[in-house]
Amino acid sequence: MTFAVRLLSTLVIAISATFAHAQDKPRVVTANYPLQYMAERLLDDAADVVFPVPEGVDPSFWRPSIEDISAIQSSDLILLNGAGFSTWVDRVSLPRAKTVNTSAGLEDQFIVTESITHSHGDGGEHSHEGLAAYLWLDPTLAIAQAESVAEAITARGLAVDIDVGTQLSALRTDLEALDALAETSMVNLEDTAIIATHPRYQYLARRYDLSITSLEWEAGAMPTEADWTALADLVAQTGAQVLFWEAAPPAEAMDTAADMGLENVVFPTLAHAEGGRDFLESYSEAISAIAGLQLR
Amino acid sequence: MVRLENLKFGYSGTGFRLRFPEFTLDEDERVAIVGPSGSGKTTLLNLIAGILSPESGLIDVDGVNVAELSDAERRRFRASTIGFVFQDFALLDYLSARQNILYPYRITPALKLDAAARDRAEALAVACGIGDKLDRHPTALSQGEQQRVAICRALVTQPKLILSDEATGNLDPASKERILDLLFAQAAEAGAAVLAVTHDHELLPRFERVLDFAQFHEGVG
Amino acid sequence: MNALYLAFAYLRYHWARSLILTLVAALILFVPVATQILLSTSERSLLARGDATPLLLGSRGSQLDLTMAALYFSDEKPDPVTMEAVESVWDSGLGIPIPVHTAFASSGFRIVGTTLDYFDFRNLQIAYGRGLSVLGDAVIGADVAATLGKGVGDTLVSSPENLFDLDGVYPLEMPIVGVLAATNTPDDQAIFVDIKTAWVIQGIGHGHEDVVTVAEIAAGSEAVANAAVVQYQRITPENIDTFHFHGSQDDFPTSAVIVVPNDTRAATILKGRYLDGENPVQLIEPAGVIQGLVDRIFRIKSLLDAVTTIIAIAAFAAIGLAVFLSYRLRAREIATAVKLGARKGMVLRLLSAETITLLSISIIIAAIGASLVAQNAESWVGWLLSLGA
Repeated sequence: MTFAVRLLSTLVIAISATFAHAQDKPRVVTANYPLQYMAERLLDDAADVVFPVPEGVDPSFWRPSIEDISAIQSSDLILLNGAGFSTWVDRVSLPRAKTVNTSAGLEDQFIVTESITHSHGDGGEHSHEGLAAYLWLDPTLAIAQAESVAEAITARGLAVDIDVGTQLSALRTDLEALDALAETSMVNLEDTAIIATHPRYQYLARRYDLSITSLEWEAGAMPTEADWTALADLVAQTGAQVLFWEAAPPAEAMDTAADMGLENVVFPTLAHAEGGRDFLESYSEAISAIAGLQLR
Repeated sequence: MVRLENLKFGYSGTGFRLRFPEFTLDEDERVAIVGPSGSGKTTLLNLIAGILSPESGLIDVDGVNVAELSDAERRRFRASTIGFVFQDFALLDYLSARQNILYPYRITPALKLDAAARDRAEALAVACGIGDKLDRHPTALSQGEQQRVAICRALVTQPKLILSDEATGNLDPASKERILDLLFAQAAEAGAAVLAVTHDHELLPRFERVLDFAQFHEGVG
Repeated sequence: MNALYLAFAYLRYHWARSLILTLVAALILFVPVATQILLSTSERSLLARGDATPLLLGSRGSQLDLTMAALYFSDEKPDPVTMEAVESVWDSGLGIPIPVHTAFASSGFRIVGTTLDYFDFRNLQIAYGRGLSVLGDAVIGADVAATLGKGVGDTLVSSPENLFDLDGVYPLEMPIVGVLAATNTPDDQAIFVDIKTAWVIQGIGHGHEDVVTVAEIAAGSEAVANAAVVQYQRITPENIDTFHFHGSQDDFPTSAVIVVPNDTRAATILKGRYLDGENPVQLIEPAGVIQGLVDRIFRIKSLLDAVTTIIAIAAFAAIGLAVFLSYRLRAREIATAVKLGARKGMVLRLLSAETITLLSISIIIAAIGASLVAQNAESWVGWLLSLGA
C-alpha cells in the first residue's frame, strides 16, 4: 500500500468518524427544566438535552403536537419527573425502554394533596388523589432525581468520553451546598406564616419547616380584585408576613402587597428556567432574598 | 421386376401351406391376384414385401433376393422399393392428409424428408383431386378421399412396385373404377409395377394378367 | 426428432386426454412438493417467531395458550397479569419487558395494546402514515389494511366484548394513523394501539366521554360503521385532556409480557425467579412451546406423507393403465408402420416420446406450481397460521 493510499484512507476514516460522531450525538428530552439542568450538568456536551415545552406554557398541562411527540419518541432518553407532573404522558405513546421516571424511588416521600372529586357522563362521582410534583424545590430530592438521571445515562451508554460519576459528584456537591445555604437562610422564616401565589412549594416547605398557605393566582399576571380580596382574607386568617410570587408580577402588584404589610419574595418554581439564569442561580437568588428579609 | 421360384411357406401351428412354383412380374406390368379367402393372396404380398420369410425358394424384387436380407435391410428395402395400399386405408387419425402422405418419411431413416418429397406429396394430392384437402384429418374425408390419400402415401416414396391389398374393396362401384384408374395412372407415371389382390371380378379386364390363387393353396386355412 | 414430431401430433390431436393425463401427473408431482414447501416454511416461520421471542411472562396456565395469544394474537385469552410484573422486570434491570394486551378485537382482527418498544423489538416499519403518538391512535398491519380496505385517516371501532356489559363501557373509535409494512408474520394481522388505549377500551381509563349516541346515528349525523355498534366513544382533541386512569398503573392488566433479556446470564436469572410453582406468574420460553407444536404437526405430516405416497402409487398405476390402453388402441397403427418399413424400434421410440413429452410437461407444470408456492410460501403460511389461530 502506498503512502498516498494510506493517507487517503486515514483521511476518509477520520472524516467519516467525525461525521458519524456529529450525527450520532444522542438526544435527551426532559419533562421540565430542572431535569434538563441535571442532564446537561451530567452529560456536558456529550448529548443534546432538550426541554420541549415552550416558554409560557405550564409543562404540567402541556399538550404536545404530533411533531413534538415524534421528536420525543425518536430521542435516546426521555426523563420524566413522575409524581403526576406531566399529565400529557398518560395520553402519549412513549417508548418505555427509553423512558425513565426520575422519582420512581421516591414514592414514599411524595406529598399527597387534597382529593379532587368529579363525575363525568352518567357515571358516578369518583375522586383522584393529587400529588405534589415540584420535588426539586427540595434539593435533597433534586439530588435523588439527579442520581436517577445519572443511572439512566450510564445504563444507556449515552456518556461518551465523560465520567458521569465525576459529573454527578460535582452536581451533588453544588446541590448540597444549596441545601445548606437554604437551611441557614430559611431560619429567617421560622415561625413566620407565608402565603404563596400558587400551591407549588410543598416539598420546599417540608424540607425547611415552612408554613405556607397557597392561593391560585395566575403566574406573572396582575392579580384581579377578587385575588386581592382572597389574599386579604388569607392574611387575616394566618397573620402572614411574606408573599412568595412564583413569577415576578407587575411592579404595582408588589407595591399593593407591600401596602398590605407583606414582604414580597419572587421564588421561581423553576419548571421553566427563569430570566436566563440557571437552576442554581435562580434558587440561590431566591434564598438570598429570603435571607435579606427584615421581618417584624 | 419380381421373380418367384419354388416358393414354399407355412404358418406354424396351422395347416396352412403355400407352394408357388414360378411367377414373374415385369416392370410396368399390372397383375391382379384372385382366389378364395384364405388362399394365401395376402401372404404372397407379405412374402414379396419381406414382412414374412419363406421356408425356401427365391424372391427376387428389383434384382434383390429379399429372403436373404437381414431384418433391418428388409425394412429399408420395403420403405424405399415398395408402396402399400390397404383395403382399410390404414390412415392415422391424428395426422392431417399431408402428414399421412409423408408418414413413411417419419418412420424410417432410409427416406429423407426434403423439399422434393414435400413437392411430390403436393403434386400427387393435386393429381388425385385432394389438393385442397391436405390439411384435413382422415375423419373429415370421405372413404374415396381417404383411399386417395393412401395411394398418394404409397407413391410418394417413388417405389418400383405397388402392392395393393383389396384397395377398392371398401368402395362403391363408381369409386372403385376411379380409384383403380388413379392407381394405374400414377403407377404408370412413376414407372411402377402393380400387383393387386382383388375380389372385384368386374375390374379384372383392366389388368394385363390375372393370377388365380386357387391352384397354389394346399390344405386348410 | 421424427418420433417427437409424431408424438406431439398425437398428443395435440387427443388434447383432452393429454391434458387430463398431464394435469393428473402434474398434480401428483405437485402436491407432495407443495406440502413439503408449505410445511417447512410453516416450521421455519413458527420457529422463527418463537426464536425471535426469547421469553414470555404470563399468568400460570396453558403455555400454549399464552404463546398463541402473545405471539400469534390468537383468540385464546390467558388470564391477565398486572403491570406490576412488567415493573418488576424493569426493576431487575435484566431485560426489557414489553406488555402485550390482546383482550380486544375489531372487525375480526386482534387489537394489540403494547408499548412502542414492541415496534423496535419486532423491527416493524411504518409503510404509510406515522407511528402511535396519541391516546386512541391505531396502527394496523398490512393484512388488516388490505382485508378491511382501510388506511390512514379511516377509523376502527373496537368490538363490544359483551353485549350485556353492565359497566356501560362503550366501544372505542380509533383513528388509523399508520399502516405497517408487511412482514409475513402475525403482526400483519394485528391492530396495534398503545396499551393505555387498550385500558381505555377496558374502561380503566376514561374521559368526559364524547359518546356518539343512538339519537345522533338516527339523525344521520353519524355513520354506523358496524350495525352491532350503536354507541361508542371517541377521543377527540377537545376531550383528550379529560382522559385519565384510576388507580395505580401497577394494577392494570396485560395479557402477557414479552421479555427481552440483556444476555443469556440475565435470561437464566430471570427464569430462576419464576420457577416457584406457587407464583401466579410464569416465565416461559416460547421457542420450546412452539417446538412441541411443530413436532406434533410433523407427526401428522408423516401420516400425510404415507397417504400421499399411496395415492401417488395408485395414480401412477392409473396413468400407466391409461397409457397401456392407448398403446393397445394403436396396434393397427403399429402394424401399418411395420408394413411401411418403419425402422426397428420405431414403435418404441414413438411411444416413449409420447410418454416423455407428457411427463415433461407435467414436471414443468408441477415445477412452476412449486416455485409459485415457494415464492409465496411466506405470505401464505402467514395467512394459514393466522387462520389457524
